[in-house]
Amino acid sequence: MSLVQQLINGLILGHAYALIAIGWTVLLGVARLVNFGHGQMYMIGAFMAWWATAPLGLPYPLAILVAIGAGLLLGLVMQMVMLRLTLEQNLVSIMIVTLGFGHVLRGAAALAFGGTPQILETPLSLVEFEIAGAWITAQDLLIVGAAILVFALLRLVVEHGRLGRTARMVAEDPKLAQLAGINVKRVYLAVFAFEGAAVALAAALVAPRTPILTSIGFEEVIVTFVVVVLGGIGSVMGSYVAGVGLGLFTALFGGFVSPAYTTAAAFAVLIVVLVLRPGGLASARAVR
Amino acid sequence: MSEAVLEADGLRVAYGGNLALDLPHLALRSGELVGVVGANGAGKSTLVNALLGWSRGAPRVSGQVRLAGEEIGGLPTHERVRRGLLLVPEGGAVFSRLTVEENLTAAEAPADASRRGYSMEEVFDLFPRLRERLHHTGSALSGGERQMLAIARALRLGPRALLLDEPSIGLAPRLVLSVLQTVRRLVDSGLPVLLVEQNVRAAIEVVDRLVLLERGRILAEGPVAAMRDDPRIIAAYLGESVA
Repeated sequence: MSLVQQLINGLILGHAYALIAIGWTVLLGVARLVNFGHGQMYMIGAFMAWWATAPLGLPYPLAILVAIGAGLLLGLVMQMVMLRLTLEQNLVSIMIVTLGFGHVLRGAAALAFGGTPQILETPLSLVEFEIAGAWITAQDLLIVGAAILVFALLRLVVEHGRLGRTARMVAEDPKLAQLAGINVKRVYLAVFAFEGAAVALAAALVAPRTPILTSIGFEEVIVTFVVVVLGGIGSVMGSYVAGVGLGLFTALFGGFVSPAYTTAAAFAVLIVVLVLRPGGLASARAVR
Repeated sequence: MSEAVLEADGLRVAYGGNLALDLPHLALRSGELVGVVGANGAGKSTLVNALLGWSRGAPRVSGQVRLAGEEIGGLPTHERVRRGLLLVPEGGAVFSRLTVEENLTAAEAPADASRRGYSMEEVFDLFPRLRERLHHTGSALSGGERQMLAIARALRLGPRALLLDEPSIGLAPRLVLSVLQTVRRLVDSGLPVLLVEQNVRAAIEVVDRLVLLERGRILAEGPVAAMRDDPRIIAAYLGESVA
């Protein structure tokens, strides 16, 4: 496979990684929280998009909205259940609860959707272009475009909007934020709702690239973890750069060295970067 | 005498089984500056935190708190703030990753028409230094500037009553006087202020009334003129126990 094709594959994969990770970026940056059910939320988002298109027969754009709605609702419910732990910043319990929540989601998905792999077919997957001898689908372009748009919007909101300032105040000191009249509980709920909606959007856009099974999600949570940590926890731009960088690395390493050791090599890079720059690539303030 | 803007009745705070504050009654009237003094651990910060229902720990708080006649004791902290009860906690707490401008503009202006937050110009009239430091982050400010910013942020939120917890802590003597004189100006414009202060000597120069706390209880209170020579207050200057 040509270098151009690998570079294009890497860019698409990288934007997919960044898109999958964006919810976690905000979650860690704003709430100083983790969600180990993130991968299963991705899986549910993918199944919801498939369910809306195949059995229900809705057009793909509406299916994306159905997936986002389901993700948003899941995020809200999850945070409502563990709000007390969040307010206490009880990270160990939150890790266990979110892990448990992920397993519950997997069980629920198995009951609802069964064990058969499903394919999310979208009209855009069938439209192909040739760029400098490399092939790319309209679905791939949608992933890249959506990732750039979501990251640009998020950066604008976080750095210049009142909402972003509020979130950054809660991120820095939730107790002090109360004294500024901020309803911290509502911010936490909103952050989890955003996380659920964002990962569901990512699933609806990225899932057409692979079969959808109830077992998917593990790789996505690992990728998210690498992207968020590599980018600098809570850094919006850092996550984008780390996502694209990881995608390029994965495509080039997989294409020219060995696909079998790509994950191991990615973690080796993560270790080296963190040893040299403990704050990640961005090494900047949170939620920037 | 004008009506109390802020009143507390039967305010009790306990950490575990230990009673940290037991206050039968406290009132703060319009245009009044009340100083709360006492030795370390007397319950001064506990008092102002309890009025807001705010703490970095997990105390049990009971009692009534009324702001402008409305019972707010059962409300969460952010709702009390929105109704106009503002606290500047010890150490001039500001958001250190936000710029001075962001600190001042992030706070939501009050929604009700009966009060309004200070404009940026009014804030700069009070604290000209903040205009010069507008684009610096909170972490780049000196102790005095942080204190000014913390008070300014509270003013932007349109306080009916302002609670200040040790605004002089860590400041040079000249700056202490300047901060307290600014507080006096705020009070003279009608804003009631409850000032927790360990620097009794400085506080006594600006307050109207003093409340002396000891082990969570009021030991003495009254107009500053009457309490200035009280031996218990003199003991408090030195941070000694007066029980």
